[in-house]
Amino acid sequence: MEGAPGLRPDDLAELGSVQRWLRAYGAFWGETSTADEVLRKLQLLADFCGFCDGTPDDLVDSLFRQTPEGPRIKLKRRRAVMAQIDEFEREFGRGDMTVGREAGNVVRSFLIHNGVALTATPLR
Amino acid sequence: MEFKQLVGSRRSIRYYQPWHPVEREKVQTVLEAARLSSRAVNADFAKAIVVDRDSLSDEDRDSLKTPTTQAQLDLAPVWIFWYADLDAPKVGESSLKLLVDAGALNPSHGWSHAYVDEVVWPQVLTPIINNPGVLAVVVCVEAGLAICQSLLAAVDEGLGTQLTAFNSEAAKPILQVPDHWLPLWIQLLGYPAESPDGGGQRPRGPFEEMFFEGRYGTPFRRDPAVVEELKAARMIQEAAPHPWRQAEIRGISRMFGLPE
Repeated sequence: MEGAPGLRPDDLAELGSVQRWLRAYGAFWGETSTADEVLRKLQLLADFCGFCDGTPDDLVDSLFRQTPEGPRIKLKRRRAVMAQIDEFEREFGRGDMTVGREAGNVVRSFLIHNGVALTATPLR
Repeated sequence: MEFKQLVGSRRSIRYYQPWHPVEREKVQTVLEAARLSSRAVNADFAKAIVVDRDSLSDEDRDSLKTPTTQAQLDLAPVWIFWYADLDAPKVGESSLKLLVDAGALNPSHGWSHAYVDEVVWPQVLTPIINNPGVLAVVVCVEAGLAICQSLLAAVDEGLGTQLTAFNSEAAKPILQVPDHWLPLWIQLLGYPAESPDGGGQRPRGPFEEMFFEGRYGTPFRRDPAVVEELKAARMIQEAAPHPWRQAEIRGISRMFGLPE
């Protein structure tokens, strides 16, 4: 599975939503990821963006509507994106649940640290 | 567990061992604790429906979740759906007279059957019952007292526990909940997959900004010696997060395949 044409990890790194994610992730976990780890995450995010045909910023924007009181989450859209991530996970893993989950969780982490509350079904 | 330590040890547990069932007698003990809570007019405000997570269909289980409660609902084997019964105070006239007969409400304090029949029921309870806003506040506070005891009882039984939100509209047909029950919380029960102290005691606001003496604005003086005694008794414990908490969260998240 590959990202959409024009979506490369280096391009993603400049986007506001991606920078916000990486900053917040580092702040929460109290660490600075290695360049290889960041590259790996950006590649997976690019793969997902190719899968759903959009950019990370578009993805985050699509989940909120602006109101006078501030941004509000679009509930139906969130359910749809959660289902997309599940599907991405299945396709990416090609039968290996652990591999698929790792990929899906990179996307979930990106959304969570951009203020989109969601989680995954625990593996048990 | 000693009472002070029990109060100090309760945490909202969000990671449970999904494979470890909860003994039925422990669930009953939790409910028994709720039944014995303090309550106005001796009415049964708190109502609960106990559900075994695995007895629900996948569709029903998913419909009860909210986006941030999904993981703990999947992990905890037992869910107690707590409700506040808006009809509960309707028994007030008879339940108060039972308290008179039991020697709890006594003539020494002005209580009698006549006082219940002629004053308390028509002039106090009936207006409350007929005022939906006031009634909702009353039943929620009273049910909350019962739920608090059930939380502490769960910890005393060595369980992890937490109150969490749920989709009450979805729950109504699944659980066949009566219209006069007001949805409150799900109380989760299970054995913790995280350390039972949840990585430390949660942050709280300053004591002096919560409690006052004589009038609002005069803080209740907090005696450091008492604080030290409570630390020794384990009511006041080490503040979160422990130095290893991040590593614990990460380890558990990876074990269950949860996002970081």
